[in-house]
Amino acid sequence: MDKATILALATELNFSLSEEEVNNIHIEFESLINLLGLLEKIDTTHVEPMVYPFEMPLTQMREDKVDHEITQAEALMNAHVQKEGYVLVPKVVK
Amino acid sequence: MDKTTSILKLKEIQASTNACVTIIENDEKTHEGLLSNIPVALKDNVITKGILTTGGSKLLSNYIPPYSATIVHKIKQAGGVIVAKTSLDELGMGGTGTASFNGIVRNPHDLTRQAGGSSSGSAVVVAAKAVDYAIGSDTGDSVRKPASFVGVVGTKPTYGRISRYGIIPYASSLDHVGYFTSNVTQAALMCDVLSGVDPLDQTTLPVCPTNTLETLNDNVSGKVFGIFEDVVNAVNDEETLKNFEAVCNALVKKGAILKSISMDEDLLRACLPTYYIIANCEATANHSNLTGVNFGLTQDGEDVEDIMTKTRTVGFGPLIRKRFVIGSYGLKDENQEKLFRQAQKVRRVVVDEFTKMLNECDGLIAPATSSCAPLLEGANTNVLSNTHLIAENYMVISNFSGTPSITIPSLPVKGLPNGINITCKVEDEATMFKLALAVESCVKELL
Repeated sequence: MDKATILALATELNFSLSEEEVNNIHIEFESLINLLGLLEKIDTTHVEPMVYPFEMPLTQMREDKVDHEITQAEALMNAHVQKEGYVLVPKVVK
Repeated sequence: MDKTTSILKLKEIQASTNACVTIIENDEKTHEGLLSNIPVALKDNVITKGILTTGGSKLLSNYIPPYSATIVHKIKQAGGVIVAKTSLDELGMGGTGTASFNGIVRNPHDLTRQAGGSSSGSAVVVAAKAVDYAIGSDTGDSVRKPASFVGVVGTKPTYGRISRYGIIPYASSLDHVGYFTSNVTQAALMCDVLSGVDPLDQTTLPVCPTNTLETLNDNVSGKVFGIFEDVVNAVNDEETLKNFEAVCNALVKKGAILKSISMDEDLLRACLPTYYIIANCEATANHSNLTGVNFGLTQDGEDVEDIMTKTRTVGFGPLIRKRFVIGSYGLKDENQEKLFRQAQKVRRVVVDEFTKMLNECDGLIAPATSSCAPLLEGANTNVLSNTHLIAENYMVISNFSGTPSITIPSLPVKGLPNGINITCKVEDEATMFKLALAVESCVKELL
């Protein structure tokens, strides 16, 4: 992974990286490649990906009912800025 | 131990170990039950209504949740008293206790050494005898490894045995709630308290809560302990090996049968990279909600995009940002088949082999870690060695497979704690606690 790709991924992930961080990730990735090479050694022909420990049918169907309510004040209590019951952010349309 | 004694001890050890994010002095018993008046500490990724819950991240360092995790209600209904929220590696990522926004967590047995992670603080508060019960979470080995390094019992029941509703996630297909206790009997009790189906967590097992405490005994006559031979072979610390052999010999004297069991070495060496890819890819997606718009340490910005970027830049530590970059790399269209899907396929191959191994015995046993806790500074790791890839990281297989797994303190190495791990078949916590109790009893006899 080159440094431009690292920066592009960081932008997609919505954070910035310092030059030092980019260099560190770049260096670490080189050794990570060796580690990831161990994955390629395993024959996975005709093997399905495993996405959860157990593949059991979902049996816990339930009626939709309201049983966990939080108030508007609780929903907004952690917002940085709020106004008239809404989270306030900078204007999108100017 | 009562609440007052517990809080005094928590305050006493805080300066040296940094085990807690918050010490809670005003919680009281609300019900009678198995935990009546017993102090319990929670890893700070357990959501607690009205109490700061940081997830070990600066981004959440001002977050006061409007609800509580299901396990908090269960602890309260059993009579428990919450006394602390404990330090963790940021968002549960990390195995050293050095990656929390609030500083390094230190091993109470030797302050120059790691406590292990990510459930560092919870391990430490039990080791320091400030509480007998502390909740953790275990995605790779985040309960069972620190348990080994600080000398306490660390339990990770079957995947889905304990509700994860209200636990800040790391990697959903690997995340388990786990916990630390001072002994195996307490571990069985805690499993009975916390287990059970939860309509708020569709991944909980649709079975009754466990009832392991009532039938718990250490009679292992005729029980087959599968010695995880590859792990033993990857340990290069003579004292760890000598201790393990002594415990195994003591188990034989109790009537247990030892059976050597192995897995393909290439497969074992592939476990850590498999974990690394799956966990980082899942984490990248899971934490996309940490934007700073609705909650968190919001930074001012010119527009919503700018707020998110500035908040996530200031709020996440360098380790997290690195892991997200790697996770995102693994999820890119051109890498997904080669990395993420390949890791998921290797996971299945490993689990199939591991299941066969478990079918040959009542439980697999091996040293939990290759030696005592590493030093905080100057620890040197050869990342491609079998000691690192197998002996230090094999416990991740229980996260792949969802199998119940427990670390019990063994005999000391260099005068410091070191654990033994036992893993059993899915949903067979009863056998796991029985085998663990026998190990605990053997260690007591040998000390």
